[in-house]
Order: sequence, then C-alpha cells, then structure tokens
Amino acid sequence: MGFEVRVDKDVCISSGKCVADAPAAFRFDDDEIAEPVAGVSALGDDHLVEIARSCPSGAIQVFDQGVEVTLD
Amino acid sequence: MITPEASVATFTISSFEAAKDVYRQKDLRQALYDEGEVVMSDVLVNLHGAEHRKRRRVENRIFRRETFDHYERDLFPKVTERTLAPYVVKGGVDLVHLGHELMLNLAALTAGIDRPEGTAEETQRLYDYMQWFIKGATLAHSTEDKQALAARISQALDEWDEEFLQPSISRRKEALAALEAGEITENDLPKDVLMTLLRGNAELDLPAYVLRREIAFFLLAGAHTSATAFVRSIDHILGWLADHPEDAGRVATDPLFVQRCVHETVRLNPSSPVGMRWALAPVSLKSGTEIPEGAKVIIDLQAVNRDPEVFGPDAADFNPYRELPAGVGPFGLSFAAGIHVCIGQDLAAGVVPRTDTDPGTHLFGLVPGAVQYLFNQGVRRDPANPPQRDAHTQRPYWGTYPALLG
Repeated sequence: MGFEVRVDKDVCISSGKCVADAPAAFRFDDDEIAEPVAGVSALGDDHLVEIARSCPSGAIQVFDQGVEVTLD
Repeated sequence: MITPEASVATFTISSFEAAKDVYRQKDLRQALYDEGEVVMSDVLVNLHGAEHRKRRRVENRIFRRETFDHYERDLFPKVTERTLAPYVVKGGVDLVHLGHELMLNLAALTAGIDRPEGTAEETQRLYDYMQWFIKGATLAHSTEDKQALAARISQALDEWDEEFLQPSISRRKEALAALEAGEITENDLPKDVLMTLLRGNAELDLPAYVLRREIAFFLLAGAHTSATAFVRSIDHILGWLADHPEDAGRVATDPLFVQRCVHETVRLNPSSPVGMRWALAPVSLKSGTEIPEGAKVIIDLQAVNRDPEVFGPDAADFNPYRELPAGVGPFGLSFAAGIHVCIGQDLAAGVVPRTDTDPGTHLFGLVPGAVQYLFNQGVRRDPANPPQRDAHTQRPYWGTYPALLG
C-alpha cells in the first residue's frame, strides 16, 4: 500500500505549490485550502514526499501505514 | 546548538534543524519587526494565527505560478532592459543604486503602484519614499536616531499615500467598475497585490491605514531584499570566476547555474541576519528544549545557514556546486519556513530546480534573471573605485559598488 497524505488546514497558507506541481493530485477547496484528490494515489511515494517537502508552510503530512513519515 | 540566556529569557538558535523546528511552531509569534512598527505594524509578516491565514490566503491569489510566469516572461525582461539601457551606454553603474532602481521598478508592478508620468523624476520620488520605508522596516538595526527616524518615515508614508497610493487605488476601482459594466475583461485588470486586496476587501475589511502599510511593505520588501541579493550575487560570482574562469561561459549561457549561484548567495547572506519570535505559550522543541511563555527566540540565520552538519565542512564558502541533503533548500532558511515563509520566494529566486527540470518552462526568478543580464553586459568591478559597506546599518549591506559594463 502506498503512502497516504493529509493537509493540515490550520497550517496551509494557500501557496498553491502542490496544486501547481501536481494538479492531478491536489486542488483548492472552497476556502482555498489545498486538499488531496483521488489522483494522489497515482503519485509515487518519492514524488509525494518531494511535494510535501516543497510545501512552504509544512502543511502536507505523509503517512506510511499510519505512521508519519519524517520529511527532514 | 541552542543557548538559553537565563537572565533575559532569550533562546538563540544556531542549528539548521532547530531553526526549522522553531519556524514551524504555531505558538511562536513574529518578533523581528517590533521596532519597525511605523511601517510594519499590521502587515502580513507581523500577523499571527487566523488573522495571518486570512490575509495570506487572499494575497496568495496573486502569488501563484501563473502570475510569476507572466511577470518573468512578459513584464520583467522589458523593465530590466529599459532600466539598464542608460547605464550600458554610459559604461558603468553603482550596483547598489541600480539594484534598488531595477527592483523598485519590478516591485512597483507587483505591489500595484503606478507611475503615470513615466518620468525619471517620478521614479526618483518613489525611490526616495522606498528608502524611508526600508529604514522603517530595518529600524531595529539602525545606527541613527531611531525616534527622529520614525517620525520622518511616518511623514514619508503620508506623502507617498497622497502622491502614489491613492491615485493607484482610484485607477483600480475604476477598472473594477469597468469590469462590472462589461467594458473590459478580467485579463485587462492589473495583476498586483493592490488589486488583489481591493477585490478581497469584503473578506478582509482592511482600514485605509493598514492597506497603506501593507502596500508600502510589499514595495520595500520586494525591492530591498531582491536588490541586496542582486548586488551580493554579482559580488560572489565575480569572486568565484576569479578562481574558476572556466565557469564564465556558464554564467553567460546557463540560467540554471546562475540561479544556483543566487541561491548560494542568499544562503550565505540572509536578508535579515536573524529571525525572531515571541513564545505565546510554552513550546517544546524536538531537541528537548523547553521554551517558556514570554521568552524570546532568536534564530541566528548566519549560523543556521552555515551549519556544517547540513551544508558540509566548507559551509561558510561560496560553492554553487554544493551538494545538499534531501529536503534542504539551497538557500537554507533565508526565506524562513512555516507560516511566514517568504510569499515572494518563487518570484525573487525562482523555483528550486529538480533533476528533470525543463529550462523551457522553468521559473528562474527575477534576481537570477537580472544577474545574468548584467553578466551578459560584461559587468566587472571598477579597479579604481572599490566597493564600500553601508555605515548606516549594522546589517552587512554594500553602501556603494561601482561596476563597469560593456
């Protein structure tokens, strides 16, 4: 099973980097907060980690079987 | 390393990992601009919590990839060429002045400050206002009489508001009315922060004095940080080429290499040498350090960005070929991290390239673009006039940097 992703909505600053880098995997919700969509499961684990690392506010969290992946 | 200073409840952070942790703590509030409130009170970088998120979400509507593409490919090259032209003819320029003039021209477009006269005198007046605003934002590090300076900066804000801001607001309101009436289309509207804030005012309800400081902030921040990075990058690259003449061709033809040089420059020379935060509540850092409520946290960015654990034993040296661990930005934490990560980072320094980056669609950033333009104009030091440091601030700025062109 691939990694799972969550967006901390209290931390997201709507920079849109994830939406620009992976438009099939992220979009803005009605409040302009990033959220993962179905396409996120098609991203490889490495790509997902890279996108999470690129999030300027650190709002994207990645989990491997429920355990948060360390991005640092 | 984390050093608690017991008598003043101040914690100094000097390692990269600890600094990253600090920047991402929700209970640490911005403290860097406490002394500069004449310009910086209520502006984006000074807000916290829900108020900050709300403002940032509205402003981020303009700080998106498609806007940056428009700036970098359509607007900025023409402005750069126009600004440089007289100096190229003259064969020389003070890079400090040029950096501020060029970046002011670009920042005015981004912030939404019009110059309808289009004259050199009008630009000079805006330049002079911007210099006051820069002094306001960096008041904490000023070596001048701070009280007198704050009063003069306040006066400059009033005068700038009347001469530049209010007419710019009026023009945008007229454009919005024309859009409403179907006389123009969305594409005809200016793409800038002021327009974004005016359109988002139903959500933000900003008082006039806050809107004024916010736009002044975008003008000064956009111009000043990029201008200092511009001069320092040229200085570092000239130094590098003196020892590595084989890279001269890359500087002229390889924008990814120039971008890498700018990132390395920004790592070694963060715009502010420190970050500061107040603890709004007790904070536990990953390192085990407990920061009590009310304490001040100082992030020593000069040390953080030269942390040998992350950047290697030669961390203090300029090396555009430096290899970095995964997840570490090539500019260190100069743009901060967490909620206050610089909103203009991609605009100024471009997107960090990946191994599969296509240079044809890549965003290089306005500073790398301007730096490469100068090298293609033959920029070099003036042997008769060595550069001098700025004596009016404790920050390590160049005061003058005479250069030859052509």
